[in-house]
Amino acid sequence: MTISSAPDEALVLAAIEQVWGSMLFASAEPWPTDRAADFGSGVQAQIELRGDWNGRLVLTCDSDVATQIAGAMLGLGPDEELPELDIHDAVGEVLNVVGGSVKGALVGTWALGLPGVSETSEAPGRDESFVVSWGDAPVYVQILPDAA
Amino acid sequence: MRALIVDDSRAMRRIVGRILEGVGFEVLEAGDGQEALGVLEGLDGPPELACVDWNMPVMDGFTFITEVRKRSEWRSITLMMVTTESEMDQIVRALAAGAHEYLIKPFTGEAMLEKLDLLGLLPTSTGV
Repeated sequence: MTISSAPDEALVLAAIEQVWGSMLFASAEPWPTDRAADFGSGVQAQIELRGDWNGRLVLTCDSDVATQIAGAMLGLGPDEELPELDIHDAVGEVLNVVGGSVKGALVGTWALGLPGVSETSEAPGRDESFVVSWGDAPVYVQILPDAA
Repeated sequence: MRALIVDDSRAMRRIVGRILEGVGFEVLEAGDGQEALGVLEGLDGPPELACVDWNMPVMDGFTFITEVRKRSEWRSITLMMVTTESEMDQIVRALAAGAHEYLIKPFTGEAMLEKLDLLGLLPTSTGV
């Protein structure tokens, strides 16, 4: 993974690819910019990163995608169901590990917060996020610096 | 053998628990360091292993291992940090505070079993 002084899209994408592969046994590809990304209600996970750059990493996905991510992480069969609390926990932990990988690739002293997860009914705009694939569905990723 | 898994993520506790149960451990769980100290207080004897996350609410993993190492009756517990904290100074800090091994998330089941083997905690371990 490239060493950087602040998180950027390439670094976060590399961390997601690593975590998708090792924890979720799936591949993450950049979502084609000309492809529509449908979104219903979903889950949004956030984690703070503090250091030379201060801000949050945010991961937003559809509820079905969140359920699939949790199932893949826990190795569940297609008929096994998880309570919502466990789905949120799993998505938060995925972002926590992504954040840890990003932090480990940054130069200097950095601190990672604890992940928080909430429901959302809106996906971020394509101009304020980049999108990776979970199978045939989009996962939105944002690198949001603190407001000045 | 018993293992205590200390992690604020239920999903991560389940993943680690499954690996440990697969090699014969009876698994106990706690969601933070403070809760883990309570679990240890309530046992009739210490577990052989504790797998400890670093970043947790209430009491973090570093404070937990420091507290465990203060108690002579818990000296036999093998402490393994299982965490996203991957910087060398964090690893050195944890080992200096009393952790025996360090496993960085994301990890594979094989990687965890290799660490357990090194610690002599597998049924077929050579305890290298």
